[in-house]
Amino acid sequence: MPLLNPKPFESDTRADWCPGCGDFGVLAALKDALQKSGRQPHEVVVVSGIGCSSNLPGYIRTYGFHGLHGRPVPVAVGIKNANPKLLVIATAGDGDEYGIGFNHVVHAARRNDDIKLIVMNNEIYGLTTGQLSPTSKLGQKTKTSPDGSIIYPLKPLPTILGAGGTFIARTFSGDPKHMSWVIQEAIKHRGFALVDAISPCVTWHNIYDEVKKLFYRLEDRGYKPDDENEAYKAMNAQDGIPIGIFYRREDKQSFQERLAEINGGRWAADNVKSLGSEIAQSLVQEML
Amino acid sequence: MSEKDSDAEITLRLGAAAGDGIQSAGEMIMKVLSRSGMHVTTYNGNQSLIRGGHVWFHVHASTKKIYSLGYGIDFLIPLTQLSYDQHFEKLNQGGAVIYDPVAVKIHDLDPKVMQISVPLADIALKYDKRPIMKNTVALGSLCAAIGVDINVLSKAIQDQFGRKEPAVAENNIKAAMDGYEMVKKQTRPLKNIQYNYSVRRPAMTADYALALGAVAAGCRFYAAYPMSPASPIVHWMASHAKKLGITVFLGEDEISVMNATIGASYAGARAMCATSGGGFALMQEAIGEAAMTETPVVVVDVMRAGPSTGLPTKTSQGDLNMMLGISQDDFPRVILAPRNPEESFYTAPRAFNLAERYQVPVIILLDFAIGDGGYSTVDNLNFAFEIDRGKLLSTPPPAYTNGYWFKRFAITDDNISPRSIPGTPDMMFVAKTDEHDEWGHDLSDVLAGLKEYLPIRRRMHEKRMKKLEEIKKEMKLPEIYGPSGADISIITWGSSSNAVREALHELHKKGVSVNSFEFSDIYPMQEDEVRKILSTAGIMVDVEVNYSAQFAKLLKREAGVEINNFFLKYDGEPIYPEEVEKHILATRKEVHAIA
Repeated sequence: MPLLNPKPFESDTRADWCPGCGDFGVLAALKDALQKSGRQPHEVVVVSGIGCSSNLPGYIRTYGFHGLHGRPVPVAVGIKNANPKLLVIATAGDGDEYGIGFNHVVHAARRNDDIKLIVMNNEIYGLTTGQLSPTSKLGQKTKTSPDGSIIYPLKPLPTILGAGGTFIARTFSGDPKHMSWVIQEAIKHRGFALVDAISPCVTWHNIYDEVKKLFYRLEDRGYKPDDENEAYKAMNAQDGIPIGIFYRREDKQSFQERLAEINGGRWAADNVKSLGSEIAQSLVQEML
Repeated sequence: MSEKDSDAEITLRLGAAAGDGIQSAGEMIMKVLSRSGMHVTTYNGNQSLIRGGHVWFHVHASTKKIYSLGYGIDFLIPLTQLSYDQHFEKLNQGGAVIYDPVAVKIHDLDPKVMQISVPLADIALKYDKRPIMKNTVALGSLCAAIGVDINVLSKAIQDQFGRKEPAVAENNIKAAMDGYEMVKKQTRPLKNIQYNYSVRRPAMTADYALALGAVAAGCRFYAAYPMSPASPIVHWMASHAKKLGITVFLGEDEISVMNATIGASYAGARAMCATSGGGFALMQEAIGEAAMTETPVVVVDVMRAGPSTGLPTKTSQGDLNMMLGISQDDFPRVILAPRNPEESFYTAPRAFNLAERYQVPVIILLDFAIGDGGYSTVDNLNFAFEIDRGKLLSTPPPAYTNGYWFKRFAITDDNISPRSIPGTPDMMFVAKTDEHDEWGHDLSDVLAGLKEYLPIRRRMHEKRMKKLEEIKKEMKLPEIYGPSGADISIITWGSSSNAVREALHELHKKGVSVNSFEFSDIYPMQEDEVRKILSTAGIMVDVEVNYSAQFAKLLKREAGVEINNFFLKYDGEPIYPEEVEKHILATRKEVHAIA
C-alpha cells in the first residue's frame, strides 16, 4: 500500500496546534524531506517529548514514540542502538531539549549518535500557557516574568558545537523550502544532527515578524560550514538571525559505527536468541 | 567447633585494609574450596573507599549445598590489628587465628581457639621489596590449617596472576608454599574434610548470574550508569560484549539509561538495565512510560542500604516500597526477588518472558549481600530456555489496520494487544505516554473529557491493570521448609531466605517446632492462595532486612495476613543464621511463658 500511495507520510490525524502555529511548517517540511529521502514510512521512527510541538508523531505516518518531557533523545538513542537500520528522528520543543533534557542532547552530540534532533524553538513554554523557557530573551515578559525576564538565555548551538556536535543548523518555519533542505541534509549526515527550528508561538510569544525582518541565509552569503571557529562566529552574529548549516563534518564516526566494531554488527533487535551450548558452557567455565 | 559438624563445614574470614588485596585473596580461597568439591558462599565486607579503612572477606564452605554465611568464624586471618579487634569475638571454639605477631597482638581470645603465628610480612619480603604478598602467605598457611591440597591454591594463584609477568605468579606461589610449610610444622590440619578434587563448582555473584541468564535469554542490549552494587553487571556485559555481540550503553544518567532501554525494547530488542536504589529513583517516571506504552522492559535494582546515598557497600531490602509505588497513578508491574545467584540466573529468562508476554515492566530485586558482596557456587545451569516473545506480529491481521495505522492497543479478551516493531511494513503506530485509544490516538488533547471518550479512557486503564490478574497465575507461591503445622513459622523473602533456611537446621536439632515460608515472587500476589497457605502457619515471625517490615506490610495489604513478631535488621550487614536462631529461641520462650 505505501508504494502506491503518492503521499505515504500523510496521516489521517489532523494536527491540533493553534491556527498559524510555526509547528505546521515544521511538520510539512519534515514530510517533504522524508519523501525526498527515499525512505519508507515503516523504516522511520519519530520520537517526541511533551509540549505542543511534541504532539507531532501521529500527524506524520511513521512509527512514533510520544514519550516523556525531555526524554526523546535517550529513547531515540535506544532505538538506534538496537536497530541502526532505522532512521530515527527526535522532534521536540525548547523546553524539552534545551531545558529539562539538555543533558541528553549534550551527550548525544558528544557520542555522535546517528539520530536527528529537530528542536521547535519558540522561546516559550506554550502548552503550559506561557512561561519562561531556556531560550527566552532577557527582558521577555511572560506569566512567570511579568516584570521581564532576568535570566540570560541559553545559546544551544555553540554549546552543542563545544560538546562535539558534527551537524549544527538553524532554520525557520517561515521559510519552508529552507527547512526541508536543512532536514534533508541532516538525514544524510553521518551522526548526530541538531536542527534548531525557529517555530513561533502565535499565542504566547509571536516573533514571526521579528524573525522575518532579521533572518538571513548563511548560504546566500557564501558561508562554508567546515570551520569550527567560523561556526562560533556565525552563531554569535549580531547583525540579524542567521539560518542555515553552521557546522558540518563527515569524518567523525558515529557512535553506532563504533559500536559495530565491538558488537560485530550483531544488533540487539535482530539477535533475540539463546546462546549456543558451547558458548554457554565456556561462560560457566570462566566462573569455575 | 560448637555444635556444627566440623568435618563438613568451614567458615573463615580474612581482614585487612582496603588496598591489601583482600578481595582477590578471598576469591582465591573461595576458588580453592569450590574446586575441591565444596559448596561455597561468600560475603565481601568492603567499604566505599579504595585504600585504607577496614575490609574483610567471609567464606562459608560445606560438603552440603548451602547459601548462607554459616555460623561464626572457624579461621580468622587478620592482617591488621583492627581486623583482629573487629572479628575475634566471633571465633568458634576449635578454630584458629592465623596472624603475624608483628602486626597483630592477640588479646582476650577464647583459650579453645588456637593461635597460629606466622611471620607473614617477613616471608613476603623474601619475594618482593614490599610485603604485598603477605595475604598470599596467609592463604598458604590457611590451606595447611584446613588440610586442603596446596596445589589447588597454586593453580588459583596462577589463574589470578596469569596475565601478569610470569615472576608474579611464581613468587606468589613460593610465598604461599612457605606459609603452608610453616603451618604444617606447627599443627595437623584442624579440619578433617573429605575434599573431592574431581568436582569443581562454578561460583558467581547474583549480579553475574543474572547477566549470564539475561544474555542466555536473548538480551543483547544492556544499559547502565555506574552504581554500587549493580556495577558488576555492566562489567560482565562490557567484558563479554565483543564475544557475544552485546550492545552496552553507558548512559549519561539513569534517566537516559531507562529511556534508552525502553527505546531498545520498542525497537525489538530484549533490553535490560540495572542500578541501585538512588538510580532507580531517577528511573521511575520512565518505568511508568514503559507501562503506559506497553513496552516490555526488565529493570534490576541491586539494593543497598539507604536512604539517599546511605551505605553504598552495605546491604538492605529496603526498596520494596519504592517498587510497589513507582511513579504516578496505577500501572501493572511485576516484582521478582531471587534468593541466591542460582535462582537469579533462572529469574532473568522468566522476567523477559513475563515482560514480553504481558508487555509490562518487570523488576528484579537483588541486594548487595548476594549481588555484589557475595558469591555462591551453583549447580549445573540449564541453558535450555523457552524464549516467549508474546504477541509479536510481523503482518497485521486485517481487522487491525485502517490503511494508515496498526491498532497497536487493541482491546482483546486477555487484555494483551498484538505488538509490532519498527521496520515492519504496514504496522506503524505511535506509542503514547498520553492516554490513548486502541489506535494510539491521543485522548489527552481534543478528546479529553468528551462523553464518548470517558468509557475509552476507562477501558484502556482497565486493560492495562487487568493484566495483573493473568500475571498472578504465573507467580510462584512461597517455598516451604520444615514440618507442616509447626508452632513457629518464619516468613521471609529474597536473600534473607538463605540465613533462615540454615537457621532452621540448627533449630530442628534443638527440637524447635519451626518452619519457613520463603517468597521469591513478590508482586502481583496470588492473595487467596497465599492466605490459604499461611493459614497453616504457626506463630508467624517476619524476617527481612529493613526497618519497617515492608514485605509483611505487603502481605497484610494484599492477603490480609497480619504478622506481629519481627526480626528486622537494618545495620547494613546481612542476616546471619545465628541471629535468626536466637530470635526464634527467644520467641519460643515467650510463647511458652504465655502458654
